[in-house]
Amino acid sequence: MSEAMAARRTVSVTVNGVAHERVIDARLTLVDFLRGELGMTGTHVGCEHGLCGACTVLLDGQAVRSCILLAVQADGAAITTVEGLATGGQLHPIQEAFMEAHGLQCGFCTPGFLMAVTELLEGTPDPTEDEIRDVLGGNLCRCTGYEAILASVKLAAAKLRALRGTVAGDG
Amino acid sequence: MKPPPFEYGVAESVGEAVALLQRYDGEARVLAGGQSLVPLLNMRLARPAALIDLNRVRELDFVRASGNTITIGAMTRQRSVERSPDVQRQNALLHAATQNIGHPQIRNRGTMGGSLAHAHPASEYQAAAVALDARFTLAGPSGTRSVDAAEFFVTYLTTAIEPDEVLTEIAWPALSPGAGWSLIEVARRHGDFALAGVAATLTPDARGRCAEARIALFGVGPTALRARGAERTLTGAALEGGVFDEAAVSAEREIDEPPSDVHASGEYRRHLVGVLTRRALREAAARAGVATSTGVA
Amino acid sequence: MVEFPQSIDDLPTSMPRWVGQPIPRVEDRSLLTGQTEFVDNITLPGMLHCAIVRSPYAHARIKSVDVSAAAKVPGVVAIVTGEDARRETRPIYTAPPGWGGNCLAADKVRFAGEPVAALAATSRYIAEDAAELIEVEYEPLEVVTDAEASVREGAPLLFEERGTNVMYQRKFVWGDVDAAFAAADHVVTERFRWHRVGANPMETFGVVSQWDPIEGTLTCRGSFQVQGFSATGAAATFGIPLNKVRFIAQPHGGSFGGKGGQRGTTITTMLSRKSGGRPVKWIEDRIEYLSAGGGQAWDRHYEASLALTKDGRMTGLRVRLLDDLGGSAEGYGAIGAAKPLASFTGCYTIEAAEYDLTIAATNKLPCSAYRGMGPPPHNMVLEQLVDIAARELRVDPAELRRRNFIPKDAFPYVIPSGNEYDSGDYEATLDAALALADYAGLRARQDEARRDGRLFGIGVVSTIEPGVFNSNVYSLVGFPGGTAQPEGVTLGIDLFGTITARVGFAHEGQGQHTVISQIVADYFGVEPDRVRVVVQDSMNAPPGYGPGGSRLGVAVSAATLGAADRLKDKLIRVAAKLMEANPAEVELMDGKLRIKGTTGAEMPIGQVAATMLTRSDLLPDDMEPNPQATYVWTAPGRTMPDESGRVKSYLTAANACHVVAVEIDRQTGEVRIDKYAIADDCGTRLNPAIVAGMTQGGLAQGVAAALLEEYVYDENGQLLTSTFMDYLLPTIYEVPIPDKTEIVTPSPFTPLGAKGMGEAAIHTAPAAIVSAINDALAPFGLRATETPVTPNRLWKLLQQAKG
Repeated sequence: MSEAMAARRTVSVTVNGVAHERVIDARLTLVDFLRGELGMTGTHVGCEHGLCGACTVLLDGQAVRSCILLAVQADGAAITTVEGLATGGQLHPIQEAFMEAHGLQCGFCTPGFLMAVTELLEGTPDPTEDEIRDVLGGNLCRCTGYEAILASVKLAAAKLRALRGTVAGDG
Repeated sequence: MKPPPFEYGVAESVGEAVALLQRYDGEARVLAGGQSLVPLLNMRLARPAALIDLNRVRELDFVRASGNTITIGAMTRQRSVERSPDVQRQNALLHAATQNIGHPQIRNRGTMGGSLAHAHPASEYQAAAVALDARFTLAGPSGTRSVDAAEFFVTYLTTAIEPDEVLTEIAWPALSPGAGWSLIEVARRHGDFALAGVAATLTPDARGRCAEARIALFGVGPTALRARGAERTLTGAALEGGVFDEAAVSAEREIDEPPSDVHASGEYRRHLVGVLTRRALREAAARAGVATSTGVA
Repeated sequence: MVEFPQSIDDLPTSMPRWVGQPIPRVEDRSLLTGQTEFVDNITLPGMLHCAIVRSPYAHARIKSVDVSAAAKVPGVVAIVTGEDARRETRPIYTAPPGWGGNCLAADKVRFAGEPVAALAATSRYIAEDAAELIEVEYEPLEVVTDAEASVREGAPLLFEERGTNVMYQRKFVWGDVDAAFAAADHVVTERFRWHRVGANPMETFGVVSQWDPIEGTLTCRGSFQVQGFSATGAAATFGIPLNKVRFIAQPHGGSFGGKGGQRGTTITTMLSRKSGGRPVKWIEDRIEYLSAGGGQAWDRHYEASLALTKDGRMTGLRVRLLDDLGGSAEGYGAIGAAKPLASFTGCYTIEAAEYDLTIAATNKLPCSAYRGMGPPPHNMVLEQLVDIAARELRVDPAELRRRNFIPKDAFPYVIPSGNEYDSGDYEATLDAALALADYAGLRARQDEARRDGRLFGIGVVSTIEPGVFNSNVYSLVGFPGGTAQPEGVTLGIDLFGTITARVGFAHEGQGQHTVISQIVADYFGVEPDRVRVVVQDSMNAPPGYGPGGSRLGVAVSAATLGAADRLKDKLIRVAAKLMEANPAEVELMDGKLRIKGTTGAEMPIGQVAATMLTRSDLLPDDMEPNPQATYVWTAPGRTMPDESGRVKSYLTAANACHVVAVEIDRQTGEVRIDKYAIADDCGTRLNPAIVAGMTQGGLAQGVAAALLEEYVYDENGQLLTSTFMDYLLPTIYEVPIPDKTEIVTPSPFTPLGAKGMGEAAIHTAPAAIVSAINDALAPFGLRATETPVTPNRLWKLLQQAKG
């Protein structure tokens, strides 16, 4: 056993490349940990029962719902949140695509969509529409009716492919 | 919607997990992928004194193919099962059942053992396990024991796992060579639990007659169940339209009173069993390469 | 007098216009990076977290409340009960008035989930632990969950002192309806049942309330759709002056009318007072939202008749509506029964109409507003009657509609219920949709399907979307408000020459801040992303209402243009003095003040503004050093309802035609959408990408209302659909992506010619889908009259076609 059974535990995680350590209640969900303990409020709470996807983050590169994961379970993991996408004031190409294709309205569900799409396009640079729908089907949006989100993902894939092509060409 | 207080500990081995379960004497629960348990905690519908986290039990994360069986560790993520070449090659029904679970974001975290131990009667995994006679290995204080699917699923959200036991692995018999399969359901939305569903395999003999039929009905009772009468109807028969209709009628009659809820009445569910059995058998026969007289599905 | 441009072409720029372009939104960078300050992101020093204790019973008397165990939990700071609420607050305002109670029930509860006590603790986790320890003793009462039962003699009464469960009853008659029906060659009649659906924004309601015990002031930060209205309600509830109440609308994650929040705001305020002024946060969780929030609307029993001549002219319409409002009238759901007056007879020249309206109380969650605010069910009913008539007359449904459309040269056109439609060309919209869908091709496919025994149906539906709401029509059911529906914008140019627009409503999703930026950009010759839109709180903002009733795009563009015109006048007067010219000779063009007809003599607006702020000696004598201007717009020409309830309410009338083809699985009852085509006309499109997004979003909600979503209660008043497992929001797999085309008939009543369109396709989609389903069922003489049309319901219906 790494530690004895306890209602409070020490948790060490890396979030967007920065290490954090906190002593927390074992019952604290990961999303409440990110928002309340670390002040990273970009990840949103939509349903707290794992069905809307607003709280999606990357846990060691995989898209997961942070409202139905305990923070203690993330001990030792590398987490990426929406705050980790843009760098140096520049939007990530996926964020750019959502902006250009009007893939958001109220924007509350958007961080969850962005993280799910990030995982998809990391592993599948040229996804079919079915593959895109498989991922988007796990997140609820009440504003857009999904049309512009689908277009945004297609645009994002094209942007990332172009970027990778350029990098490969340079290298 | 915040979980009640509980103690938490990480088990690093099956032995540790079993010891902890014993210590809490029925008041602890194991935590696998958490995709069903944590929502229940958030709603305070589950109030365990302690959670024993199995996510670091490395010995339970594997997919092992040997001969006619694929054995999968209980803590193997559904995403890993979905991507396993062995599963895709040996057991297309299991592969399809995995893909039918929720969405990738759920499968990334959800485990095969967690899903089966949750024992939702509309679960595709449960249906596949019942159809294929999967075997379940349970580890407890006095060693391990093995139960088959019919024994494992006791009733709604209840399995044969004792309070001091851990589900460790599931052995999946491969589909017979030449078998066709089908997994179909009616759900309100894509990715939802089925209102009713059918998992079926058909193995034709050299003359196109049915050597073996396996039909599991799910979402229509406290557990998924085999339509044994329908299977008997099929076995030895020529695989074509008429016998599928007979089998469908049989399946519809074999189930007890199906549940009624906000999405479907029991009567409607019973009707769906017939419709879906007929369609599943047609699809399985087609996949087995048996030409069947079509007609309106 | 302020002058408004009549079209985009009148804007003072020689460059290509930003207005009318699908430019990216100014709101999006912050949203995409997770920086937007939604209410749950707020943490204030000393902040406490609220949990609410709710009734498990749908109807019960409260015998006792014991908070002693909860009070002992470490971290609990304040507890309030119904007795506190009765002492410290007035009942929450309701429409109709007098059908509600305090934020915490003291004597009895009228729906499961009604708040009875609440507490504030140092974390939400602890607050929920302690809330479980509050013991409430109830005496259960007989429950009534069905409106038809609740209006019968002897039904259990929710409000005993009223002696009835009928909250409102009125029969409106416009024109000689009896004569129209007596003279009719055909009368078609049908009953319909529309089950409860509702808003479900992805962000629930949330608020942080802080009472200042020294100053006696209240500050609430929340996801307020209409902050000024909410502030007024809070001042009235606590009996404090309105100038001591500050409501700060945070950006919020959608609303669709369903944000509610009166009780949560009042409860957190009580807790803040009781804790000596510590801020108290309450974030409604999803189960609270679904079972006890602002997310339920339109629980309706209809019986309706349409009278026609033998050549298919519609002459009279009768609609009887029994509207089930639930356990109180606090959610303003009743206005959803009044709004259909704005488009009662749809696109048609029906001259006589009757509306027999009863609003009833039942032991279910009080209904709230929802996108569309009532007409979507009404449209479903009217359009089904039109289809039934078409079948009876053996006329193509598109053709029957065409024969009865208000002709394009008849505008402005006053309908029997008194509203005036501004402009339209309904035949053009119909033709565009039919062409887009290949209507003839669809009918050919239908013939083929029917030969094969398949159930394939086509719906063709045209509707009106009333735009730019006015409270005058809502006053019929007791909503507070008159004819003024103000929306104000302040525009200012600072010392650096940059432009700021100040408004009184927060980001909610519809992109109005972008539209303001586009207009200001064209008006003053800058790029849209150089315009800053700042949200003012309820004390600082000019009079304004906010989003609702497809109003804000039109209202805020008019206010922006009014403020721009006033600011321009100031700049012209100053520039004229500086350039030694007559103000009449100076004009604004491309962001510069210049002397008309000359080249060279010009001053950038920034230079003029800076001069105003720094050199009073150079200004005209009566000119203040203030390069700012405010304009508060309201729709012109509104009056209060006349004695028959006729009222000119909504300023614009957008129009849409949906053509949809469905195939029903005859064995399972599943509906597959095969084809969807939309033609719509909302006048000038200020940002076409935003318009397209509203249309698609409204479509998703409309499709879901027709096929998926339903709040289901059991006979004990327990909600059976209190999670997202069972209340089925559509995913990407359930929403069709239609072909879309547009017709543009600008509104003569709005600056730039735009019509309100934020509710969009939810007005049309439910009717169109039900029409398509019924077209598929027609060969069997069957008809779906209950929404949502679930597989189970359709299968049951199809059982009648056996053989």
